[in-house]
Amino acid sequence: MATETDDFAPATAVTPTDGLLVVAGLARRFGGVQALDGCSFAVEEGTITALIGPNGAGKTTLVNVVAGAIRPDSGRVYFAGQDITARPSHQIALRGLIRTFQLSREYPQLTVLENLMVSPQRQVGERLSVALLRPGRYRAQERAYLERAVQILDDFGLYGQRDEYAKNLSGGQKRLLELARAVMAGPRLLILDEPMAGINPALVDRLSAHMLRLRAEMSITFLMVEHNLDVVERLCDHVVVMAVGRTLATGTMAELRQNASVVTAYLTGGVADVRAES
Amino acid sequence: MSLFLLTLGFGVVTASVLALASVGLSLQFGVTNYVNFAYGAYLAFGMFFTYTANTALHLPFWLAAAVGVVATGLVAVLINIAILEPFVRRGTSGFFLLIVTFGLSLVLLNAIQAIWGVGFDQFPIAAGSPIRLGPFSFTAAQLAIVVIAVMTLVAMHLLLTRTALGRAMRAMSDNPSLARASGIDTHRVTLWTWFISGSLAGLGGITLALNTVEFQAFTGNTFLFVIFGAVILGGIGQIYGAMVGALIIGLAVNLSGLVISSAYDLDVAFVFLVLALLLRPQGLIAARGKA
Repeated sequence: MATETDDFAPATAVTPTDGLLVVAGLARRFGGVQALDGCSFAVEEGTITALIGPNGAGKTTLVNVVAGAIRPDSGRVYFAGQDITARPSHQIALRGLIRTFQLSREYPQLTVLENLMVSPQRQVGERLSVALLRPGRYRAQERAYLERAVQILDDFGLYGQRDEYAKNLSGGQKRLLELARAVMAGPRLLILDEPMAGINPALVDRLSAHMLRLRAEMSITFLMVEHNLDVVERLCDHVVVMAVGRTLATGTMAELRQNASVVTAYLTGGVADVRAES
Repeated sequence: MSLFLLTLGFGVVTASVLALASVGLSLQFGVTNYVNFAYGAYLAFGMFFTYTANTALHLPFWLAAAVGVVATGLVAVLINIAILEPFVRRGTSGFFLLIVTFGLSLVLLNAIQAIWGVGFDQFPIAAGSPIRLGPFSFTAAQLAIVVIAVMTLVAMHLLLTRTALGRAMRAMSDNPSLARASGIDTHRVTLWTWFISGSLAGLGGITLALNTVEFQAFTGNTFLFVIFGAVILGGIGQIYGAMVGALIIGLAVNLSGLVISSAYDLDVAFVFLVLALLLRPQGLIAARGKA
């Protein structure tokens, strides 16, 4: 059954161990805009969870808060049972929570292979002292990373472009590279911000297939912000609907289609309808 | 012809000094995305730390130079932590950071004068009798400058392409928010960048002092404009561009001395700077990735 929070009051029912990722009562104001207003939900391990909602619902702000790019005014974020609220981005990434950005991002002046090679977590090689004093250990690790990067590029069909500068890739290849780079970081949870926006249907299918493969092969859990409800219906086990900074409802896509307030708020209407109701 | 080749030789020495200093400035700009106007003072730190280690502590010159390089790197890190970082954390824009570093430059240069005096100093090793090499004529110190510059630039290339730290620096230069989100400790990388930038400034200062023979607190700061010329010609933030820019401007500055008075050294560098800004503001090696 789809659960609906009463009168859009911040749900307090979540506990830190409800899922791999748990957000509890997150609030964040930008000037006069209450971007997040007591948003709470859980992402269960092993799911592909969608985060949907009308423009301005606070989805991207939520992703930024979870990933440590923005501090919340109040509320907590738990990852794998641990409180990660307002930790620095790179520490959150090291724990296995990796995010991508709304527009494809890559390192344009690094080669495709190098784009992946910067990603690995806990590289001893980044400590220059190790590189200088323990060259053997450093080289062994570099070789292991290189093999892993090559394997991932091969999985994503980008091996042929490995020495190309990332800026020379096509838009679709950049999208694949972004996912490949995120995978290289060894995530437990991947947060994708509109991964399917502005790409052709064939590539949507390829990205979807990659996500399913990554979940099966590497047990990666996904939280994806997505506007394309067909994709959500086909790909996602669980959907979180946000509106005006709060969790409006959660459930499967089929359940949500039966949910009157979701239909008014999002599927047929806009933000104004939700505001009018509350 | 022989005068031309002789001057060309001196041009290579100037280019070597310039390349060391330019790469340090460009690297720091690439990673932190603001211009450090106090860089000229860092050159002076390199000169004077080495001078003190050499003359007061009686270390052999090469050891004193190593002390000067490392100490300047550390000073750059400390200045970043104590002064620049608080501004960056507050979200101060690049323009205001430029003013901050300009003020910092005045403070540091005057502090250096207060500590080491206003007069000219000279490294004993700088004044050697020239060695003739075919058409060229160098002092031993000048030859050492070229060798050290080549070795340092090769080491920089290896650092940037072969080590994870170097890749992290290039990644930060390309896309800082993505670097943070992929788990790169950008703060630590920034501190390393300042250390390397400061060390290169120190090395640039020491080699500059060897090349000009006499130096004082403002010697590095005067040279800063030539450094800016090389950095901008090469494409600001592009360290390979800085190497190319340094070679072109280093040669041009010396070769122009054949036609016009060498008193116009700085002006020649400025002509290149202006031409670069007019004709190819993105630099010879364009930074398409940088916003």
